Amino acid sequence: MSTSGRARRRDRLLMQALAVLLALLALSPFLWLVLMSFKTNAEIFRFPPRFFFEATTANYAALWTSEFRNSFANSLIVSTVSTALSLLIGVPAAYALSRWTTRGGGTITLWILASRMAPPIAFTIPYFLVYRHLELLDTRTGLVVIYLTFNLSLVIWMMRPFYDQLPRSLEEAAWIDGATLWQGFYRIILPLSGPGLAATAILCFLFAWNDFFFALILTRTEAMTAPVAVVNFMNYEGWEWGRIAAGGTMIMLPVLIFSFVVRRYLVHGLTGGALKG
Amino acid sequence: MAPSLAVLALITLLPSLYLLATSFTPLNLTRPETLWDFSQPLESYRQIWADSRLHHSVWVQIKLSFWTVLLQLAIGLALALLLNMRTRLLEALRTVFLIPMVLPPIVVAIIWKVIYTPDISPMHGLFRALGWNVPALITDPNWALTSIIIADTWEWFPFTMLMVLAALQMMPQELLDAAKVDGASPWQLTRYITLPFIKGVLLVAGLFRLIDSIKAFPLIFILTDGGPGNVTEVTNYYSFLQAFNFSFLGFSSAITVALLAATIVLSWVIVRLVGWGARVD
Repeated sequence: MSTSGRARRRDRLLMQALAVLLALLALSPFLWLVLMSFKTNAEIFRFPPRFFFEATTANYAALWTSEFRNSFANSLIVSTVSTALSLLIGVPAAYALSRWTTRGGGTITLWILASRMAPPIAFTIPYFLVYRHLELLDTRTGLVVIYLTFNLSLVIWMMRPFYDQLPRSLEEAAWIDGATLWQGFYRIILPLSGPGLAATAILCFLFAWNDFFFALILTRTEAMTAPVAVVNFMNYEGWEWGRIAAGGTMIMLPVLIFSFVVRRYLVHGLTGGALKG
Repeated sequence: MAPSLAVLALITLLPSLYLLATSFTPLNLTRPETLWDFSQPLESYRQIWADSRLHHSVWVQIKLSFWTVLLQLAIGLALALLLNMRTRLLEALRTVFLIPMVLPPIVVAIIWKVIYTPDISPMHGLFRALGWNVPALITDPNWALTSIIIADTWEWFPFTMLMVLAALQMMPQELLDAAKVDGASPWQLTRYITLPFIKGVLLVAGLFRLIDSIKAFPLIFILTDGGPGNVTEVTNYYSFLQAFNFSFLGFSSAITVALLAATIVLSWVIVRLVGWGARVD
């Protein structure tokens, strides 16, 4: 008995060691980019790389005095406004769908899922044509609106299963006490939605922040977002690897922090509760 | 509620209808008179049958989708089984493994651009040190698609891993215990109890990844630009080139309508499989 126990413990240790090794292997490409952002150009081209090199923040300083700063601000503004609007419109819709859908529930689910999964080009072509006339090309407003196409759907299918789980008796009690429909939602339901709402908001922000395709087509200079700006370092200013790496690292920093916060909700946000079935 | 759904309809359904309308015109931005020219509504769809470069792009898409979905399911499943132990270390590692998936796609593309660029790539440096003569993978016609598949698999294996781990946590412990009492080996446990239990989740994960693989863009845009030649040009990318490099928005719309239809059909399969919408009250 004790030998088999020891064997089992040895197996567990081996498996953990293997897992650590695989994690390092899987993460090495990502760590390499972060290291690169602190290297001088000469250091980037050195092989074998030195384990201890003199770190420099020159790449970041160079970015901060360039146009990239505006693009970074654009990304922040567009993602934040789009998130706020999606919640404002989407949360009441999710609540209503949860409470009053009887027929057509499947069709609405399909519609929402399909809007989320549609190839971006399907929306880009019509929006591009319409924006040309409305003079919304290369504006932050234009981006905010097109980001609603995926974020509004995201809010509805993150929050709807959440409201499905809340017992109806909650707001019914409020109605009996003379509260209106809207008051019942605003005073009773909304305060209970805290954690789910926070996770949904973060996911909306991330999806808007990560967008590349819409911003690539619908912006030129004024409203250009950070992901598109970073790519321009590749095309026009030669191959400034240090700056590309620094820009990439800056773009992923908020993403890593936020993802860590909402990691428990990631499955749900990406699949719309497919696991509950 | 009604206003919210009206907004959603305004920003998603209306543009889809506009896309459909555009696909019936020969719209070319350099010729403004083509904007509402419905004289030959099916011309773009006829071109779809005739355009061999488009057919090639569908074949590239099939290869890309097949291999990325297969590899992501296999690697994600294997890792989930490995990490499915309740130790603090492994729980921390789960979060670490999620990083590739949550990174902005453009950053993933930059990471792999670095790795595939021989001058600065640690991978190519290592190959040189070992005396292997390895070509630049993304400019080699034989390797370009494989290099995209590797990068895409790296980005998305955590998705399957995450879904399988979530499913494993819902697995009834009694079932495992009973099998253990009957003397089942760890391999038998996995093969006959765990795998059948998570079959459904694997299918759903695979479908989600399949739909997403149709949208593959940043990796191809940054790494190969569809090349060399057109060996990595998937249908979505070809449609992008037609619309925004060559200005053939009418033709591109027709291709995109087909892509959109494929997406909707696959989404419908997911909705049916998972049984959303059929609410029990």
